[in-house]
Formats: sequence, structure tokens, C-alpha cells
Amino acid sequence: MKIKHQLAIFNALTRLLVILVLWLMLPILVENVVYRHINNGLVEKKKKFIDHLNKKEINDFIENSDDSTETYSQFSTLHSEFLVLSKITGKPHQKKTTFSNDYRIIEGEENEYRILQYHFTYENQGYQLEIGSSLSEVNDLTFIIRLFIIIVLVVILLVTFLADTVYIEYLLKPFYKIIDTKIRRVNEPEAFDHTPINAKSRDFRELDLVLNQMMDRIGELFKKEKQFISNVSHELLTPIALLKNKFENLLQNDSLDDNAIDKIAGALRTLDMLKKIINNLLLISRIENNQYEANEKINFKEILNDLQEDLQDRIEDKEIQFSNQIKHDFIFTGNKTLIHILIYNLVTNAIKYNKPEGSIVVEDGFNNGQYFIAIKDSGIGMNASQIEKVFNRFTRISSDQDGQGLGLAIAESIAVFHRIEIKVTSEINEGSKFTLLFPEVHLHN
Amino acid sequence: MNILIVEDNKELAVEVYDFLCNVGYICKIANNCSDALEEVASNDYDAMLLDLGLPDGDGFDILKTIRKTKSKMAVIVLTARGELDDRINGLHLGADDYLTKPFALTELSARLFAVIRRIHGFTLNNLEVHGFLLQLQDYKVSYNDIPISLTKKEFDIFQYLVLNKNRVITRLQLTEHIWGDILEVNSDSNFIDVHVRNLRKKLDKHTSIDWFETVRNVGYRINE
Repeated sequence: MKIKHQLAIFNALTRLLVILVLWLMLPILVENVVYRHINNGLVEKKKKFIDHLNKKEINDFIENSDDSTETYSQFSTLHSEFLVLSKITGKPHQKKTTFSNDYRIIEGEENEYRILQYHFTYENQGYQLEIGSSLSEVNDLTFIIRLFIIIVLVVILLVTFLADTVYIEYLLKPFYKIIDTKIRRVNEPEAFDHTPINAKSRDFRELDLVLNQMMDRIGELFKKEKQFISNVSHELLTPIALLKNKFENLLQNDSLDDNAIDKIAGALRTLDMLKKIINNLLLISRIENNQYEANEKINFKEILNDLQEDLQDRIEDKEIQFSNQIKHDFIFTGNKTLIHILIYNLVTNAIKYNKPEGSIVVEDGFNNGQYFIAIKDSGIGMNASQIEKVFNRFTRISSDQDGQGLGLAIAESIAVFHRIEIKVTSEINEGSKFTLLFPEVHLHN
Repeated sequence: MNILIVEDNKELAVEVYDFLCNVGYICKIANNCSDALEEVASNDYDAMLLDLGLPDGDGFDILKTIRKTKSKMAVIVLTARGELDDRINGLHLGADDYLTKPFALTELSARLFAVIRRIHGFTLNNLEVHGFLLQLQDYKVSYNDIPISLTKKEFDIFQYLVLNKNRVITRLQLTEHIWGDILEVNSDSNFIDVHVRNLRKKLDKHTSIDWFETVRNVGYRINE
């Protein structure tokens, strides 16, 4: 999950929590605020009523009433308020003013009221005063407030969630820009873009700066490495060239006897081997340093046809059945020279370690959408421990074959360079199979 | 033919110099950039062999300077492989060919021949040896106007030996010439024998070829 989503979700959750708390606290708030307000109103009315009260009035109240009970009651037209004064016998149990919520029926209509109860004694007669104020309005109000709060909060929740997402995305833009332009698209330090990323947050400016500095250091190392490779090539290969040319010139001398010619020829062969080892190590080193471009369109059919033609004499010499069964016109983008070397090395190995009158089959296909080329021989094969070491430098399967044991090491570095996977299966005396699995990104058809 | 050898390793320069003089070229050696530029400015050269790593500069700079004024001069870049990013870069800057060190002198002479021939508009189209006519343009060989059918490899071997006649050509040299650098790994110089054997068989049908010599275990030589 991306950080912008995580942050937005976190914000939304905290807001939701706040809303829940508000929702739960609403009844308490209503009680505290609204009831207090109503209570104050009721106390006010009680005070007014009590202050004007005297014996005559009480009797008037009670006697004037229509019914026979010793009660006086009065209510507003819409039953929103009422006042009841009644005689009670015995001592009043309380002198204090109490408030309570209760249901009362006035003219056949039941409503919830906030009721003030007050007991007092006047001329040895106990009285109870009840003043009520209807709660239906308050309840309606509470409901409306709750609804309102819900709607407002949900809207706020949505709006802030969107705003958060957009703002966080805006804030994180430089971050993704850094990842994209500075890291993902950079395959080698020389291609690194040093233009500072325009970021509002200092964190990203710092990240950018540090990345630039790191890339500078890596670039410096890369340059040194390249310089070193170049120097090694020049300094080692020039003396070899000198020796080689000297021996070649020497070979033309007519006064040489056969023994001398043999020795010179031997020296030339050794020099040749030395040259190959140096060149192959340099090749590996340059591949691993990304000193090759990989932007050529490669057609494997063509490469294999070229190879077959090139190696025809060797194939015929061993009377090997070479079967090129490449069917697909798969186009791969990479370095043609390197890919050529890769397949060349695999095919020449297949010839070298084959039995006389053996066979080599090259086939291709798609495995789960992934293109592969398999080179299968009927050669001497390898056991598990040999397979494990097969890509190591200077490893040879059998010592009676000449070569430097660098062919597969080169093949592997070329494969790694092109993100190709090499799979090896083999059985002693049955043959080996090298499968090249191509990365799917290069799929064109 | 005047050839300027630009190479900072004096001994190597002398070996190349001796070889090319022997073949019949007129040569001069420059050991650094400034000498090379001076030589080019004051004398007319048909070709230059250019080493890239020079003590006072980069060989490519010489190449760039030359290409501004002398478009007809053939330039073969001599370089250790690691110095060139790839072949395209060298050719792009105006080199006619390149050879990686260490190279065989006979290979150098064959390349030189090809480059000079190209620059002079392919005026030299045939080589002749003991009555055999090699038509370089279309890879054909004939003896007394009787065409001989050779494979591409056989023709290349024949031409290489003729171009370097009177010299012992080792199997390694022939292998490198025919298969190029790609055969670095898994190379096997014995396969050259098969082709040479076939070539000789085809030539032998027409006349005695005792001038086509096998030099012990080393290689071959065509004597004139």
C-alpha cells in the first residue's frame, strides 16, 4: 500500500473515531446544556408562582377547579407547559426542588415532560407544586442535531479524505519523481540526471541531494573502473602484441631448423592463449560494468543460421546432427554482439562435449508467456556438482578439451546483463540442456 | 605507398615498421600525438596505423583532426579491446578499420590491402599466383579462364596466403582471419586444416601446387 493511501486511511479513521465519540457524547451534552436551560426556566416560573402565593390564592386555585380533587392545574394551549398544585396529606418527604423526566397525560395526550417538583407547607397544610415543560421539542431537536451531525460529519469525512489524498499526493510528488528519474531510469551513473528536483518539503530536497552525492561517488568509481580496464587492456595487450609480432617476424627466417620453428610456434600458441584469457576477462569485466549498449533488435533465427554456417565444419567433423527448430519470430532488444557470443558459446560447448555422431537440437517456444530457447545435446553430460560449478570461471568439465573454461562464465554474465535466466539440466552420458529464459518485458509479439 | 605508424611502444612500432617495409611499403614512425600531427601536416601519407593510447593525448583526437582535412587517407585504428567502447564508435569517427591488439602482422597487411583498395576505388581487383587468378570483387578463382568453385572460407584462406606470400602463416593466424574475434572462446585451429586440404585438392586438379607448402606443425606458406 502506498504511503498516501496509508496516511489518508489513517486520517479518515481518526476522524471517524472523533465522530463516534461525539455521537456517544451527544445525550450527555444535551442533558447538561438543554436540561440545565429548561431547569432554570422552571425554577424561574416556580419562583414567580410562589412569590405571589397566599392563602386566599391557594384556596381560589383549588376551589375554583372544576373537579372535586383538591388539585389545581393549568396548562398552555399546546400542552407544552403545565402547572399542577395539589394538597398532600402528611408531612412532605422533601423540601427540596427536584427535577425528573416523566410522562404525563394532559387532555388525553401523552407527552414527555421535564418536571419540577416542589413540596412546601402553608398553614400546616402540605402542598406539592409540579411545573412541567414538554420535552417533545427538545427530543425533536436532539434528533435533528444528531442527523445534522451525522450528515455534516460524513460530508466532512469524505471531503477531508479526498483533500488529504490530493494533498499528500502533491506532497509526495517529488518523492516519486526522484524514484522515477533518479533511480529507476538510471542504469549507469553516466546517465544520471543531476538537475535538482523541485520539492516543497525539505525532506525530499535532502533525499535528492544525498542521492546526487551518492551517484557522484558511484560515477567516480565507475569511471575509475573503466579507466582501469582500459589501462589493463593497453598495458597488457601491447607487450603481447610486441612478442607476437617479434615471433611472427622470427618465423620467416629461413635459417631456422625444425626444432626452432616448433618452439616459436609453441610460444605463439601460448601467447594466443594469454591474449584470449585477458580478452575474455576484460569482456566479463566490461559486461559487468554495463559498458555495452543494449538497444539492438535481435532475431534469433538469423543468429542461429549464421552460427550454423560458421560452425558447419565442426559439426560435420564430428558428424553431429544439428537441428535448428527455431519457429517463432521473437524479437529481443539487446546487444547483438553479446547475444551472439552467448549462443555461440552454448552451441560450441554442445559440439565440444558431444559424442561423435551425436545430435544437437535448438528449439524455442513460450512457457507461461515467457519466451525460451533451449539448446540440447547428446553429449557426455554432467553430474549435479558439475552443474553447480559450470558457470564458474576457469572451470572445465573434462581436462582433455582445450579452452580456458571461460565460455560459460561469459555466457552467464551476458545473460545477467540482459536479465536472461539460464537453466541447466543434464544427465551423465545422456546429454545436457541449456535453456535461456527471456524476460517478459522484452516481449514484442 | 606511404604509411605512418603512430605507436608509442617503440619496439612494437619497429616490428610493424620492419614487416611493412619488407612487404614493400614506405613507412615512418611517430611515437606521440604531436609528432604524428606534424608528420601528417608536412607529408602525404596513403595510410596511417593509429594507436589510441598515446602519451600526450588520445589517438581519436588525431583522427578527428585528420578527417577535417585529409579525407582520402586510410586510417586503421590499433587498439586494445577495452579502450574502444565498441567498434561503431571507432568507425563513426572516421577510422576505416580497426585491429585489436595483439594482432598478426599478416592480418594487418591484409586489412591494409583491403582498406587501400577501397579508398582507391577498387582499381586493384585481381591477384595472380602461379597462373591462378583471384577476382577479389566477386570471390572467384580461375585457372587459365577455367573457373574453380571455392567456398567463401577457402577463398578467404587462399587470398590471405597470396597476400602474404613467402611468409609462414600459422594456423592461429588463419583461424583468426577466417572466424574473427568471435572465436575467442572454444577456438580450435585444427579446423583450418580441413579447409586448406579441400582448397589444395581443388587447386591440385589444375596444376602442380608444390609452391603451396605445409610448414611442419605450424602452418602454411605460398611461395612465389
